[in-house]
Amino acid sequence: MNRCDQARRLFDALWDDEVTQAEREWLEGHLGACPACRHAYEQYARTLEAVAALPRVETSRDLAERALAAARRAQPVPDRLAVAPPTPRWVPVTAAAALVLVTLALLLPTISPRVGTRPGGSLTARVEPAPVGGPRLLATAGPSPAAAPGATLADSLFDRSEDVEFILDPVVLHRGRARPAGNLPAGVQAEQVVISF
Amino acid sequence: MGRVAEDDDRAFTELVRRFQGRVGNLIARVLNDRENVDDLAQEVFVRVFVHRRNYRRGSRFSTWVFTIAANLAKNEIRRRVRRRNWFSLDALTEVLSDSLPQLADPTESREQGLEREQLQGTLARAIATVPEKYRLALVLRDIEGLAYEEIADVLGLPGGTVRSRINRARAMLQRKLQPLLRKQDVP
Repeated sequence: MNRCDQARRLFDALWDDEVTQAEREWLEGHLGACPACRHAYEQYARTLEAVAALPRVETSRDLAERALAAARRAQPVPDRLAVAPPTPRWVPVTAAAALVLVTLALLLPTISPRVGTRPGGSLTARVEPAPVGGPRLLATAGPSPAAAPGATLADSLFDRSEDVEFILDPVVLHRGRARPAGNLPAGVQAEQVVISF
Repeated sequence: MGRVAEDDDRAFTELVRRFQGRVGNLIARVLNDRENVDDLAQEVFVRVFVHRRNYRRGSRFSTWVFTIAANLAKNEIRRRVRRRNWFSLDALTEVLSDSLPQLADPTESREQGLEREQLQGTLARAIATVPEKYRLALVLRDIEGLAYEEIADVLGLPGGTVRSRINRARAMLQRKLQPLLRKQDVP
């Protein structure tokens, strides 16, 4: 490649001011010495100056209002790619079962001292507002409630405005499916758990 | 743009006012069509509004709006070429021979004004005859003054491809304008 070809390959970079200092010095030296390349660069620069100097095309002043009116009329096209695949049916069942499991896991340590103490009897976990000092969690086996030692819960956890009662039937979880418990684990005999707030 | 996404009409009209000049100019220069520039610019902003919730916060709004305008201009070129093929060459010839708006210079004589108009008309037609893929890059760079990186984002191309397209477009344009430039060289 001769020097003129080399110089002309740098015209774009020179115009965009993307030449290195060394390239600029070399190119300016060459353009000073080579009338043909100097003339070619002048034509190149004049062309691009003329392009840049083309008058701006004006849009109408009320374009914003027209665009807004047209945009309000336009109906958005639904993104067909963004439609989520249908949720598998087993997901809610698994979620419900997991919720029950977590609830039981949280409650079992609290009521465990009484579980299994009276075979065949019903198991009841009862939280009742205490007259003084906040509610106490009571775990009862059979009809007679008894206080669980050290089971006092924080008062701020409870809304005393209305009593709410949760009754949890024992279930057995198998592969994400819950079914009523026919046989409870060894050592656990209960029919339901009742929690009153 | 965040306010536009929340259906703020005033924010949208402000956004249109801020960008309508650049969007209109881009479309007019790529298509060499001043007659329909309002309708096409309006279509760009309608698309901005319809897809306002797809705009990625943090990215440059100008890049997004130029991408929409460039795609619309490309589609319009193709639509016009199809129409030309179906009907006649006259419609396209009419579109390409569109005269440009001139800003009157009070010190300019009538002859000088006519000469300048003629030169600008020739230049606009020359740009319009550069192949579409080179033309868009050229207009974005040499008329709208976008950086190479932003043009790459707008056109969805690598930076090297953008540079090569702009260089080729400049060379094509210079070749097309060579006779005119030679004539001007004559004292």
